[in-house]
Amino acid sequence: MNVEEYIASGILEAYVLQELSENEMQEVERMISKYPELSIEINKIEQTLEDVAMNTAVAPANHMRGHVLDQIKGKGEAQQKTVVPLTSDVPPNRRLGVFKYLTAASVILAIVSSYLAYNYHQEWKNTTLELNKLIVQNERIAQNSYNANQKIENLEKDLRIVNDPSFKNVPLAGTENAPGSSAKVYWKANTKELYLSVFHMNDLPEDKQYQLWAIIDGQPVDAGVFDSNLERMAQMKSIGPGAAAFAVTIEPKGGSISPSLETMQVIGNV
Amino acid sequence: MPANPDYKDPELLVAHLKNRDKAAIAYLYDHYSAAINGIILRIVKNESIAEEVLQDAFLKFWNKIDTYDSKKGRLFTWMMNISRNLAIDKLRSREIKNDLRTDEVENTVYNVNAENHSHQQIDDIGVGKLLDTLREEEKLVVDMIYFKGYTHTELAEEKNIPLGTVKTRLRMALMNLRNYLGNEE
Repeated sequence: MNVEEYIASGILEAYVLQELSENEMQEVERMISKYPELSIEINKIEQTLEDVAMNTAVAPANHMRGHVLDQIKGKGEAQQKTVVPLTSDVPPNRRLGVFKYLTAASVILAIVSSYLAYNYHQEWKNTTLELNKLIVQNERIAQNSYNANQKIENLEKDLRIVNDPSFKNVPLAGTENAPGSSAKVYWKANTKELYLSVFHMNDLPEDKQYQLWAIIDGQPVDAGVFDSNLERMAQMKSIGPGAAAFAVTIEPKGGSISPSLETMQVIGNV
Repeated sequence: MPANPDYKDPELLVAHLKNRDKAAIAYLYDHYSAAINGIILRIVKNESIAEEVLQDAFLKFWNKIDTYDSKKGRLFTWMMNISRNLAIDKLRSREIKNDLRTDEVENTVYNVNAENHSHQQIDDIGVGKLLDTLREEEKLVVDMIYFKGYTHTELAEEKNIPLGTVKTRLRMALMNLRNYLGNEE
């Protein structure tokens, strides 16, 4: 939608009259920040509504001015009213006099501090609002940074394995079933550690999973299952010395006891 | 006492209000109470109720001035929306009360009005000939939405007009009023 059409839809009028839902308001505000000409249009709408109101004004009764303004407490007024009772005459008494001044002093102190408290309260309210905004922002940044760190940590871990010469690096190539598939295993026989990294493997239906096998003495040994959407390097089951090859088959979710060899996807010799 | 010349500048007027300058609210009253009162009166249709709402409205301008953000719009728009909302709330709360006490005579004020709510009988106080410049369908939306405080949705439902049409008609009407009031650059 271009800006002219947007204006013509009448949404800005509805915005000025606060007729929009929270979401729609945010959408309009987003549009305003994108298209400054919308602000000009909004200002015209506001001016028109103001002019209409001025042209259709109905003066309130004269006594209303006093009513309205009397209920409004200006700066400093609240204090004066409270101070007044202090001037009421107490019979002159020297001893009482001291207390009188002390009382007056403490009342003044109380008034001044409540006035300051009020001011601070106002400032505090504004500050709290700003603070809340910053807290939200901060949380978002912290979350991003956590996610980024997490990724880096994972990558570093993967990289250590890739670079570690004591890991045997076994590429698994696609079979006739899946010529485009390819993966790699990293295997350290003495610690039995086995990792799998997938370059490309086909998507599987919900009820299927891939299963990795180690071929030891001609027999397939289960090395764990994984999903087709494996993104980073995965640690598989422990495989000790003796594996001559690794292969991946498609099995029902959770894996099988023995491989469905006809589904073999990738295979590679150690 | 002549008004502080600062008040003529909207930004400074707001600054004075935020600084709890009582003369600034008096200035606001002297300049806008009639416009605000017109808005309220056309919604509540009763002078003594309008007086209550007017009083509430100015008290709210005073107490809530810190929530006004000049970046989001003009001071008058802010006051107008506060006043409209107070007036509509008052009308609705009375409507509910009247539903509970149907024997009350007072309810005639609003109920009669609600039943005969057709634009043929615009009884708008203070509107004069302003709306005569508009086409019938534009008169209807301005009258019901702007003067009587209906929401766009209520109008759409009551008059069986699509919501989008309500919006565009209100826009056309305001454009025509803008031209009529000589406000187009």
